[in-house]
Amino acid sequence: MINFESVSKQYADGHEALSDVSFSLDRGEMAFLTGHSGAGKSTLLKLIMLMERASQGRISVGEQDLSTIIKRQIPYFRRHIGVVFQNHRLLYDRSVFDNVALPLHISGMNHRDIGRRVRAALDKVGLLSKEKLTPIQISGGEQQRVGIARAVVNKPPLLLADEPTGNLDPDLSEEIMKLFTEFSQVGVTVLIASHDLALIHHMHYRVIELNKGRIVEASFDGERDV
Amino acid sequence: MSEPSKVSGARSTQSQSAIANYFKHHSEVAKTTFRTQIDKPFSSFFTCSVIGIALVLPCLLMLILADLQSVSDDWEDSTQITLFLKKHVSSQNASALAVEINKKNSIHTSAFIDKDIALATFKEKFDFAEAVDSLDENPLPHVILVQPVNTLTKIEHIEQLKVSFLKHDEVDSALLDVKWVKRLNSITEVLSKSFWLLASMLSLSVILVLGNTIRLAIESKKEEIIVMKLVGGTNAFVRRPFLYMGVFLGLGGSILAWILLHLIVYLLNQPIQELSSSYQSDFYLSGPDFESTIFLLILGLSLGWLGAWLAVRKHLDDMEPN
Repeated sequence: MINFESVSKQYADGHEALSDVSFSLDRGEMAFLTGHSGAGKSTLLKLIMLMERASQGRISVGEQDLSTIIKRQIPYFRRHIGVVFQNHRLLYDRSVFDNVALPLHISGMNHRDIGRRVRAALDKVGLLSKEKLTPIQISGGEQQRVGIARAVVNKPPLLLADEPTGNLDPDLSEEIMKLFTEFSQVGVTVLIASHDLALIHHMHYRVIELNKGRIVEASFDGERDV
Repeated sequence: MSEPSKVSGARSTQSQSAIANYFKHHSEVAKTTFRTQIDKPFSSFFTCSVIGIALVLPCLLMLILADLQSVSDDWEDSTQITLFLKKHVSSQNASALAVEINKKNSIHTSAFIDKDIALATFKEKFDFAEAVDSLDENPLPHVILVQPVNTLTKIEHIEQLKVSFLKHDEVDSALLDVKWVKRLNSITEVLSKSFWLLASMLSLSVILVLGNTIRLAIESKKEEIIVMKLVGGTNAFVRRPFLYMGVFLGLGGSILAWILLHLIVYLLNQPIQELSSSYQSDFYLSGPDFESTIFLLILGLSLGWLGAWLAVRKHLDDMEPN
């Protein structure tokens, strides 16, 4: 699903955020991306979403070479990727329902289908009863779940998450991670950037660790200490 | 929402519903944007007023110009050349000349006024009986009044005609009273030039004011724009509400301008009619008619759209998530 071949990313100021990164993720696979802040986790996610372009190397997502996607096509490409952000990035001037419906409105779906899909996504994250509230009226954990519902409402084959449990307590974090596990079980490829090592080790999924822009270890167990 | 037709094939039903969704989305964006503007009546009214006032000036000038043009056309229609004949010319010769002139294609009518009849009229009308009686001889010459045909409207052509009369031996001098027509024409010329200057400057200012308003709106919705782009919103999708905002503000501005125009015409007409009646004219300002109303609305709408489009091009398209 995701394939990185010797990818490097150098910013205009000369800072090299990623050096010679190679890895691949199969369809339906779930993996964690770890490392200290500044290790290049965010840059790697940005490259997948085409918020940044690689300086060197080749990235493909779902068999599509990202270097062949021109600027105008980026929005259509992004509709196939669900993204969950640490700070949720919800819109506070509209209801939970409208927040989740946003990607569907953008892709031009009709109203009846939107209602059905949004309620299914909200039901999945356990917030069906709160669709009329605004994000300010619900808790931080619930806001993150709204963010997840918005990311999956389009049924994307790939789900990215950038520190999805960054601001949550352990119980809530576990709940969120459980949701991601469920998505991967139905065939969604899931890549989660996180430095919540205790939680990651507890989950027994593949871990891709970055250090100063390089992959230091890619392991399948959570037994290793940093 | 209407049910897709069951007769047509699946593919065309699909594309039909895509088009239907597109228009539905447009009407929703329009409605939402309109409601957002209504929800902040003060700032919307302020922006519309600025646009309205900027539009009123050139529109008023345009109305005045159109009215002046019709007056000047009327005046040119009534252009008349007065031929004063030489002293020694007899009544018969003068009358014959008038008939001869009348035969020309460029002449509508020509009338001979005998100097004795003229003096009698003069005596009668102006109560100068004693003064006239004291004169040894009639100081007035024979006069022929010549009216060119209506199709001859250019002053230069009438001037040429006037000069051609001087070739006749009997004609002493010819007088063409076009000073007022000339003046009016140059006033119209000045006004028409200022109209274009004023109109382009004020249109530019409308575009700038709107562009700035839209820029502020874009800045205040930065987070929303970025989120939309992150979940796959195209530039067209993201800019749509801002373009509608520009169109609505422009339209609101032109509606205000229309109301202001009526008010100004109403307030100005009394003093204008007093002034023009002192020049024996019944000139007055007519308010905006149906055509100028439509023109005004389209003008406001397009300027609004243009201002929004420029702001969106400059500030929104390059706004990328990071």
